[in-house]
Amino acid sequence: MTDATADRTPAEARAETLAIPANPPQRALALHRALDRVWRNDRGWWGQVTAVNHTTLGLRFMGTALVFFAIGGVLAMLVRTQLATPGGAFLDTELYNQIFTMHGSIMMFLFAIPMLEGLGIYLLPKMLGTRDLAFPRLTALGYWCYLFGGLILLAALLFGVAPRDGWFMYTPLSGATHSPGINADVWLLGITFVEISALCAAVEITVTILRQRAPGMRLTEMPLFAWYMLGTSAMMLVGFPPLILASVLLEIERAFDWPFFEVARGGDPLLWQHLFWLFGHPEVYIIFLPAAGALSTIIPVMCRTEILGYGAIVAAILALVFLSFGLWVHHMFTVGIPHMALAFFSAASLLVAVPTAVQVFAWIGTMWKGRPELHLPMYHILGFFLTFVMGGLTGVMLAVVPFNWQAHDTAFVTAHLHYVLIGGFVFPMMAAAAWWMPLVSGRARIRSLGEAAFWLILVGFHGTFFLMHLTGLLGMPRRIDVYPDNPEWIWLNLTSSVFGFVMTIGFALFALDLVLQAVMGQRSRRDPWRAPTLDWSLALPTPSYTFASIPGPRQLDRPAGAVALPLARGEGLLPGAPRPRRELLVTTVGDARPDHVALLPGNSALPLAVAAAIGSFVLLMLAGFYALTPLSLVLVAVLVWCWGRGLVRQGDAAPVEVAPGLSLPVQTARRRTLGWSGNLCLLLANGTFFASLIFGVGFLSLVAPGWPAPPARAADAGAAGWVVVALLALLVAAICARLADARQRNGHVSGRPALAGVAGNAVALVAIAALALLHMDDPTQHARDALRGVLAGYAALHALTAGGLAAFAWQQLRRGEIATRHGGALPTWRLWQDFAAATALIGAALVIGQEALG
Amino acid sequence: MRWLGLSLAGPAIWAAGFTLVYALHGAGCAQGWTDIAVAGAVSLHALLLWSAWLATLAAGGLLLARLLAAAPKAPGLVRALPRAGAWIGLGATAFTLLPVALATSC
Repeated sequence: MTDATADRTPAEARAETLAIPANPPQRALALHRALDRVWRNDRGWWGQVTAVNHTTLGLRFMGTALVFFAIGGVLAMLVRTQLATPGGAFLDTELYNQIFTMHGSIMMFLFAIPMLEGLGIYLLPKMLGTRDLAFPRLTALGYWCYLFGGLILLAALLFGVAPRDGWFMYTPLSGATHSPGINADVWLLGITFVEISALCAAVEITVTILRQRAPGMRLTEMPLFAWYMLGTSAMMLVGFPPLILASVLLEIERAFDWPFFEVARGGDPLLWQHLFWLFGHPEVYIIFLPAAGALSTIIPVMCRTEILGYGAIVAAILALVFLSFGLWVHHMFTVGIPHMALAFFSAASLLVAVPTAVQVFAWIGTMWKGRPELHLPMYHILGFFLTFVMGGLTGVMLAVVPFNWQAHDTAFVTAHLHYVLIGGFVFPMMAAAAWWMPLVSGRARIRSLGEAAFWLILVGFHGTFFLMHLTGLLGMPRRIDVYPDNPEWIWLNLTSSVFGFVMTIGFALFALDLVLQAVMGQRSRRDPWRAPTLDWSLALPTPSYTFASIPGPRQLDRPAGAVALPLARGEGLLPGAPRPRRELLVTTVGDARPDHVALLPGNSALPLAVAAAIGSFVLLMLAGFYALTPLSLVLVAVLVWCWGRGLVRQGDAAPVEVAPGLSLPVQTARRRTLGWSGNLCLLLANGTFFASLIFGVGFLSLVAPGWPAPPARAADAGAAGWVVVALLALLVAAICARLADARQRNGHVSGRPALAGVAGNAVALVAIAALALLHMDDPTQHARDALRGVLAGYAALHALTAGGLAAFAWQQLRRGEIATRHGGALPTWRLWQDFAAATALIGAALVIGQEALG
Repeated sequence: MRWLGLSLAGPAIWAAGFTLVYALHGAGCAQGWTDIAVAGAVSLHALLLWSAWLATLAAGGLLLARLLAAAPKAPGLVRALPRAGAWIGLGATAFTLLPVALATSC
């Protein structure tokens, strides 16, 4: 990513940015028509299939998440019905297990995460002053992966083969021995499918926030919601890969009998717990931060003041992003971890309350200094304060090891997590819904229904879950379906169940309120809340192109309502659509100077096709047709190739005049494009995946009881030779990538280095295959050999990817699509090739180290 | 980008130190480093844990000192966030790794 702050003081940078001249005003209607022709979705059903617009997809994410929330809610009511009496015969144990597992999985993976993604996808371009997200087709791919993954899970529930091992799928319960059938596979494959969507959104959001802010909107001045989403997306890039790795390893164990979690063959169930909670605890903050972003946006406006402590809140976000990765072991306090390690994680768990409290005090201070107005969003905000603070306090209680040992795995923990998640996410989301519905629907709300829904939800929630603390303290374990020998739990459970239904009625009213507003509400005026952020400067509902002209420094310092007309008349930057293509402005990371013009792809069915191809892989795995799965992978590779080719064919590369006297190059003339930044984000996630794998190797080697492993096949010269050949080949390919890149920049465009890169990766692949087939031990024998198999597979996959990129670049060179000022795929190939070589080297060093240390 | 990197540096130092100490702790307990005396009553395990903790504190302290000493030409949050990040990292290192000094190791 380009850096603007290195050489100039911020004042100088701002002065330079402010010097952008304004465009002359044009007829707003003409601009609207021209832009809408370029940016709108195709018509009819096909238009829904090919839509890549962030507004459409953001709403679709949120709408689908609400449907899953309703399904998860119905499942919760089934659970509460079963528990209302001690010997409930409403559900049998098998079905009860499936239902509570699906309730947790749906709420976490199919409601909370997609909802926050949808909110970010829908709002960020509007708040930051850009027309769309950085990678619209990736947004669409994410949506389809989410939908298909969710449908697979729901179908499993309908056919009675849903996961039944709890939403965190602990091994060995979820292993092949204790969980035969495809129930656990549905979770592992379906949730991993959905996680593709989370990674797509994280890449998307990170790049958009860092590189697409309106000119002059420096990082230090952007809306707090964007800071929160930046923190969230960074956490998603680092937090999701450990769970993806855990799911991949468990699926390999179940499908191919490679032991990673089986003690008898060198595995350890605790590895699953570590990897799961490495994701699982940051996940709580991944869910909380966007909600907090909504609160930081809404509270100051509702109190007719400015947020108190902008800088302190940004610092608190920074602290939360890091500290939340140091808490995961507090979910494992009872598994027999040494005292000192317990103390590390207990301390971190206590410490994380500090940045959370900083935010809560900043919000309270904002309300104190302002004049709070009790509109519907404020009701939900007050509900948030009451509920989340209670959840936070029980969290501090659980961070204390002796208390944790007492309350572990009881209904107390269930109550705590619902206080945190409903308090910290659902109440803020309901506030956000009431707040942004006029932007979404263009209509004002219908009075009183929302308030009634709020009170029912609040009373119902606390009636359900406050009592559950007591039930837990009386010793009731979570996840049991009957309790005939514990009459002391009966009245608490019955009362919780009754209030649970009250809460459900409240949520149904809330949904009805949204529907009625969208269908029957009166037309809302623009900026009904008199808010300062750019999203409220837009027409209601928002147009397909978002901004008729990109807000410039002149528009940023004025109220949203005051800039609406100048922007609609094209007085910002890059006005209208004089060229029939989707254009947006890319700015520098620090001070948001205009850097270049990005050309976005249009509507496309390709994301749906890629998601369907990935889906076919998932279904083949579930059906046990493992031999056919390579066909799906080939199909994915072909479609991804077509995806890349689509980016190349974007026509005229002449500079674009974005303001009088200010012409900017288009992306083909820049090295640090949005795509390059996106690949960097992807490699961050990939690096975390690899680091988690290294952690797995270290953990099992040191801690698992079934070690040392049986003697490995004697290391012979042949094995060493193949390792050396593979590493040298990857190294040569990396040198070729650098050479090709350097020569292109110096004006010597040649296809030979790219061709040599293809050959280098091919040789590496052959060497890895020979090593695996001729020299490695049977991976079903012991975890050591299974992990080595995974390391070899990882290296092979990356050689294949890097080789594919080299081949793509070679094809571009042959077609003349790479020129002196156009690097094409070369910078991306170089990134991936370096990564492939570095990880292969680390993996080889690890295995050699294992052998040397015996 | 440099500013963002500086802001992340303090917490990143904590993250690296926390990971290192936790890894050394696990490795030492598994390998029996508590039974290896290196300087009288001090075990190899304790020595390594103390060294890693103090090194992390030193790195965090050094970063903070450099940021505090830097000329304050940047306004507001541009100057404050890297410093806040350094304080966060240093404070978190001191507090979360304090068990090195207080708790029994394995």
